[in-house]
Amino acid sequence: MMDAALLSWLLVGTPLLGALVNLFFWSNADHLKLSSILWSAISFGSLIGFAGYLAMPPEGLLPLYLLPLTAVVSLLAQPARDDYRQSCTMTLVLLGLGLSVLTSQPVVGSLALAVLLFILAILLYRHHSALWPMSWWGIGTYGLGAFCALLTVGAGPPVSSMASLVACAVLLPLMPFHDGHLTALTRLPGSLPAFIVVLLPIAGLHGLPSVLQTVPDTVVWTVTFFALLGALYGAIKALAQSRVRLLLAYGSLSFFSMLWWFVAATRTATPRAALMVGTVGLATSGLLIAWQVVRTRYGDDIDPQAVSGLASGMPQYAVLLSLLALAAMGLPPFGVFAGFMGLLLSSPFPSTLGLFITLLAWLTSSWYIMQMVQRLLFGTQRQDLRYTDLLMTELASLVMAVLVLLALGLAPTTLFGTDHTRSQTSVKESLTWNR
Amino acid sequence: MTFTLLVPLLLLAAAALVLIGSNRSRQARARMAAYLVGAACLGAVATLYQVTTEGPISFRFYDLSSIGSFAIPIGFHVDRLSAVMMTLITAVSVIIYNYSIGYMYQDLHARRYLAMICLTDFVLVCMVSSSNLMMLFLFWQVLSYLLYVLAHNHAHAGTLAGAFKTFTLLRLADTAFLAGIALAYQLYGTVEFQELFVRAAETPISLPLGFGMEVSGATAVTFLFFIGAMGKSAQFPIHLWLPGSLFAPTPVHALLHAGIINAGGFLINRLAPLFALSSTTLHVAFVIGTLTAILGATTMLAQNDIKKTLGFSTIGQMGYMIMECGLGAFSLAVFHLIAHGLFKATVFLNCGNVIHKARQEPHFPHVDHQTDEEGMSRLTWITGSVTTLLTPLFILLLTHGVLRIPLLESQGTVIFLFFIWITSSQAILTLTRLRQVASWKVSAAMLMTLLFVVFVYLFAVESFTAFLYPDPEKVASYFKAAALPDWLFDLIILAATILMVASWSYLYLTAHGRTLRMPAWIDALRIRLYLPFMNRLYGDELHQLLGDTIMRWVHQFDKRERGWSR
Repeated sequence: MMDAALLSWLLVGTPLLGALVNLFFWSNADHLKLSSILWSAISFGSLIGFAGYLAMPPEGLLPLYLLPLTAVVSLLAQPARDDYRQSCTMTLVLLGLGLSVLTSQPVVGSLALAVLLFILAILLYRHHSALWPMSWWGIGTYGLGAFCALLTVGAGPPVSSMASLVACAVLLPLMPFHDGHLTALTRLPGSLPAFIVVLLPIAGLHGLPSVLQTVPDTVVWTVTFFALLGALYGAIKALAQSRVRLLLAYGSLSFFSMLWWFVAATRTATPRAALMVGTVGLATSGLLIAWQVVRTRYGDDIDPQAVSGLASGMPQYAVLLSLLALAAMGLPPFGVFAGFMGLLLSSPFPSTLGLFITLLAWLTSSWYIMQMVQRLLFGTQRQDLRYTDLLMTELASLVMAVLVLLALGLAPTTLFGTDHTRSQTSVKESLTWNR
Repeated sequence: MTFTLLVPLLLLAAAALVLIGSNRSRQARARMAAYLVGAACLGAVATLYQVTTEGPISFRFYDLSSIGSFAIPIGFHVDRLSAVMMTLITAVSVIIYNYSIGYMYQDLHARRYLAMICLTDFVLVCMVSSSNLMMLFLFWQVLSYLLYVLAHNHAHAGTLAGAFKTFTLLRLADTAFLAGIALAYQLYGTVEFQELFVRAAETPISLPLGFGMEVSGATAVTFLFFIGAMGKSAQFPIHLWLPGSLFAPTPVHALLHAGIINAGGFLINRLAPLFALSSTTLHVAFVIGTLTAILGATTMLAQNDIKKTLGFSTIGQMGYMIMECGLGAFSLAVFHLIAHGLFKATVFLNCGNVIHKARQEPHFPHVDHQTDEEGMSRLTWITGSVTTLLTPLFILLLTHGVLRIPLLESQGTVIFLFFIWITSSQAILTLTRLRQVASWKVSAAMLMTLLFVVFVYLFAVESFTAFLYPDPEKVASYFKAAALPDWLFDLIILAATILMVASWSYLYLTAHGRTLRMPAWIDALRIRLYLPFMNRLYGDELHQLLGDTIMRWVHQFDKRERGWSR
């Protein structure tokens, strides 16, 4: 039988090796992009082959599969331009570090996490523009996350538990540690936002079960409070946004906060929670890619209403964007709905008010996402704009995202891991309590 | 089982056939797809026959013990209710699809449109034959989105706004439905219909509401489901989406008013055993239904646009249907739903012709002439009024004597009879609007109609009730659960009777040129009410104002908070 530690190093090493190989293609953006996609695909293949030998985490194996898959999806849609070479290579580096967080021993995983967050802080420091100015809040949040990840290695309980919780709150965005998430999704270049919106929340979810079981009830209640606040806050902020990247960042914050509420109630991360995190991330990733398609044609940060009428000029794009929007707002038969329903049916509700707020946030997504889609796709077609439908790579990327979301909506969650917490007992307990 | 599975599959195949292929063979494919839709209809009829003779058909693509691991457990349970609905949907689809082929012939997006019609039929058929709440909700949600897609036109601002309103308002109701499913699963541990009914009946649960108040689990769950049904069936105050979606192509309206809008009534019927556990929800349904029926019908009278008139007529009819559910007459609601569906589909498909004719002929539609009114003979009026007013007494006595139904003990029977009377009166009142007809013909038509209506109601409703719910005890238990306090029930019957008799008297007297001494304030009120009802009680404006206010608060919050986080 293969040694799990060795296997973990092998899985981590594949994308990192790819990043090294990319240096040889630095002068040719096309080859570099192709190489990045190939190494991500190899990473995905090796994961499929060796996943059975890895120890099963409580959240199941879905997050592991999703990471290289998202890397492929985000890289495919990226234009092969010189200024995106760095983001291609960094995608592979972050993929390697992400796999390390998920598969390595806790100490190595924490160190990998610290490095990952540190790299993101540096990237945020370097990448800003007049439209998206430097955000010290975001850099500071990732810096805090990296520090907390290191603290979990060096300090003993209860400091390590609290540090780990803060690191998780930075990764899987929870108010008031959500600024890193917002900044990264709006400032990072190329394929990086579409990749890290899946990577970081998955890494955060991975650390949660061990943390939530050790922290006191008061902390869990505080988490619950901030989760509900975050769900509402994200939804309200998303409603007010006219800039698509910010809208998507706040919208995903709202959905991730809902997940925090469910996870705090059960104090563990189940495969259903992983499904929710992965699919919310992937749907947001798909929408970010779709927005990137518009950006590459009409310029950065263009007003969606200014490019109205895409449905007639870009029919393939319109269909895929609509499907991604449906997935992102939690409509069936896509994975976000499956994850949300799975949590709704399997977790006991700590409070009716919480359920009400969660459903309200879920409902609000219909407004802001549908409004965004309607602004982009419908309305009168502009005569002064040239409408070019999806290129082959963009089409492949968006189709993959939609198909994966669809498959995850229809597949049983047991396919990716066993839900130990879900049994009839929870229902019966709830019944007894209610009688 | 084969027929049952074939029905949705044929519709799906029809959608694929229309959608996939070259533009050159578009028309030929569209015509071929019509055969598939027709075959689906035949399959539905065969399913209805099979279900009637052999009992319900059930098959699941999942193991009941592992249902929890599926977000969407796909399974079908076709009982008589499902089979009837499947037949109705597919029959209406055949008409609408064939009509649409010609209607959308020159439209650039005809292919997408026809495929969407087939897809909507597929979703509707799957929805009515779902074996569990999750699958029903899945198709329920997809239906909301398809309505959005069907009701909008890319380039027309008004249509887009209407489609957006349709989607968001339906989502509002869908969220309540979702909350109901979550609560039902938390309380009873299942989303399978039959199991849910058994567990809910066996496990009385109380939920604390705060301040020392409690509500039963069944009431909470059914109330949430009812809000879900309110959305699709356009009940007040979530009815605003229906007039907003009236820009859609005419065949879409036929499908919407004959099929989609019945989803609410179907949901309540599907969950009838659960609703029967909560008198409170049934009473709420009665109140909401009555309110919607009154508002819908009144607003309809003040509209000056044929589609809006028909739209509000549908709202009124849906209110009537929900009211029947609220009274425990579930089978009557389904009967009504079918009759209304067929009638409204015909009317909508014909309304384009009326508009076309009106544009070409200056004297169409014909205006009322006082001379015509005067031409109506006394015989006509006497026949109409006497039969309308005396028939109920005759039927009451007949039913009491022949069928031996304990009238005084059963509100259900009184409800059935009362609806017979209301409907026949309505038919007679409609006939009095006929112009240029000899009086003996009108009298004969009145009597024939009345006989027909009475016959249909007495025979068909009773048979239909026995067909849908073969167990009479179950039907009785529904009526019992919905029973109103005696004094309230008597009051409602009395008020409605007085209203009906007063309407007849008013019509008779005004038709004969008699002056009615009405207090001045009634006339003033009538004029004052006309304007708000013509403007649909300013519902759209209120909805807009609410939306604007919320968005103003949201933007204010966003502006203030921006300094802290970005």
